[in-house]
Amino acid sequence: MADVATAAAVASTATDLASIQASQMGMKAIGAGLAVGLTGVGTGVAEMGIGAAAVGAIAEDKDFFGLGLLFTVIPETIVIFGLVVGLLLLFS
Amino acid sequence: MSRLLIAASRDQLSTVIAELYRHNLFHIEEYVDQGAGDYEGFKIGSPLSGASEASTDLIKIRAIENAISVKADDIESKAAGSRSELKAMIERELPVLEREVEELTTKKSKLETRTKELEQKITEIKPFSEIPFNLDLLRGYSKFSVFAGYVAREVTFSVPSEVHFVKGKEKNFIIVVTTTDQRSAVEKTLQEASFQVVQVPEESGPAKARIDDYTQAIAAAAKEIGEINLKLDGVKQKHAGFLVACEEFLRAEVEKTEAPLRFATTRQTFVAEGWVPSDGVDAISNDLVKATNGKIYVMVIPTDLEHDSVPVEYNNPSFAKPVQLLMDVYSRPKYTEVDPTLMLAIVFPLFFGLILGDVGYGLILLVLVFVLGKFLKGEDGQQFLKVLRNASISSIIFGLLFSEFLGFELPWPAIIFSRHLNIGGEAGAHAAAIPQLMVLSIWIGILHITLGRVLGMYNHAKQDHGNHRTKAVMANFGWLTVMWGIIIAIWAYAAIPLMPDFRSLPAIAGINIGYIIGVVLIVVGVVFIARDAVLEVIELPTIISHVLSYTRLVAVGLSSVAIAMVVNFMSIGMFIAPGLANLSIVGIVMILVGIVIFLLGHTLNVALGILGGGLHSIRLHYVEFFTKFYKGGGKKYVPFGMKRRFTED
Repeated sequence: MADVATAAAVASTATDLASIQASQMGMKAIGAGLAVGLTGVGTGVAEMGIGAAAVGAIAEDKDFFGLGLLFTVIPETIVIFGLVVGLLLLFS
Repeated sequence: MSRLLIAASRDQLSTVIAELYRHNLFHIEEYVDQGAGDYEGFKIGSPLSGASEASTDLIKIRAIENAISVKADDIESKAAGSRSELKAMIERELPVLEREVEELTTKKSKLETRTKELEQKITEIKPFSEIPFNLDLLRGYSKFSVFAGYVAREVTFSVPSEVHFVKGKEKNFIIVVTTTDQRSAVEKTLQEASFQVVQVPEESGPAKARIDDYTQAIAAAAKEIGEINLKLDGVKQKHAGFLVACEEFLRAEVEKTEAPLRFATTRQTFVAEGWVPSDGVDAISNDLVKATNGKIYVMVIPTDLEHDSVPVEYNNPSFAKPVQLLMDVYSRPKYTEVDPTLMLAIVFPLFFGLILGDVGYGLILLVLVFVLGKFLKGEDGQQFLKVLRNASISSIIFGLLFSEFLGFELPWPAIIFSRHLNIGGEAGAHAAAIPQLMVLSIWIGILHITLGRVLGMYNHAKQDHGNHRTKAVMANFGWLTVMWGIIIAIWAYAAIPLMPDFRSLPAIAGINIGYIIGVVLIVVGVVFIARDAVLEVIELPTIISHVLSYTRLVAVGLSSVAIAMVVNFMSIGMFIAPGLANLSIVGIVMILVGIVIFLLGHTLNVALGILGGGLHSIRLHYVEFFTKFYKGGGKKYVPFGMKRRFTED
């Protein structure tokens, strides 16, 4: 009798463990998604102003293109950090 | 650079100018009338004879070039002829050519205006196209009033009137004729149906016929414009080479004849000051003396690095030359500064390759570079393509190391760390070594920034003076020690792959020696920084963010790998493979869809790869590397003379 009960308990613990691991993996995936998505929004908001100003400046002076492009991509760092966090969450 | 002073009598002016122009080495320091204390009694010179003729001709040539859209950059360089030949050709052919092009362009613009007028007329008549009677019947009455226009719905009038109603899709066209005394009643009814007036055009005959006539006239004009364009094209084919050669020749003439405007002159003499690369001084002075039979005085003036703004010309090995373009986008180095072009030329392709390490994409880029090379003839374009070429070669090499071809694995496992992600469940045995790649990129960042700071110390030691110099050098050293202090403290705290593990170091009073060294370094660094500028201390967090910023080398690269693998999985795994397994009509359609996805996806990824790989690599230099040591703002060295492409000297 006792053996059967233990076996059932072991089996149920194993399924529990599997489901817990699966849900942890899911949480990680959600976290990674949030990291990339939210930082992406942040970058977008930051680049919005810079990009508009840069286009204005380029319209006045074409030589500003290089520098304008450079300024515009500076907030890209934020989304890169998000991407790094996401990758670390998923793969390490 | 050496500062050269040339003085001679005025009758030698043209000889000296011609000689300087031929050498293409002398950067003229322009003479300004005011505030030149040593130049009392001097005046700005006046142009040599022939200046105005040359500039008039130049304007004519540029106008012609504009009219037939000839650009020097689009034309292969080859010498068209000697000076005297060109001069004769300009005198003989330019007026004829000018007249020909002018006639054609005037005719063309007349025809274009005519077309616009006709189109306007057609839009005026168009509302009446459904009216079966002649247009001249609609105007010229004294006892009748005619209304024409659009109404929202069909209307009936209580007063005697003749109505012609045309039902349309969006709005209905109506013509109402009534006696003049009933005018106001009709107007009121029409207003209620939201009437919009349309002017009766000044035309006769049925509207449809008029429209046909005008359409034919427009077609005829278009045909004539086409013929004129063909003729202009013919002129372009025949004379493009001549035109660009003339432009170059005349530009040289204008520059030469107007050069005295930049010299200081008296009634009998002139003085020119300028910069010459130090190894060119002997050649240029000897030739000047020879050309003027010794009637000239040439002297090297000692340079004062603090006050003179010395023009800067790059001095790099040929493989690094294309990258000067990227340097100029940021700023040209100052004369006293370290020129980072060489470092940029080596590191930029490496970064690009690390990001876009894929044999397939590298090859596509290389082909793209060669195809574009056929079209882009200008200097800057060529240099840019060379930068891209080096980057794509590096991309191919890194692709071999990463074992990647359009996201697929090459027949061997990745030689350095693998970037193959688990997409569509086919990661296989060589899963991506992401933590190792991240640490590798952080190492690159640490070394790159360390190099930047060391250069910063060198630059400050070279440029600054006295107390400030020591402080500035020490501050740069302080930034370095803070960074390394943080790193050593982290090593003592946690084990990181590919980095030393200091956790097992001996402890003093229970505290790991790594911590102690780290904290000491940080404190010393902060003190050094604060001694130079206290406010700089708030910038301390940038140490971490700048180092971490280098992880983009891996992150952007991985995202490009991920896109490539997703495209492959979608096109092959989801469409082509099932299609091949079941070769019916549906199967063939699926294969075609798969191929389209494959092509579109990889095209997008190539575009993103160029943009990502290029922009992020250059940004790491501009923002993370250059800010440590580089100021720029040097004056460009523009020697008096030109690189001739179409003419001989």
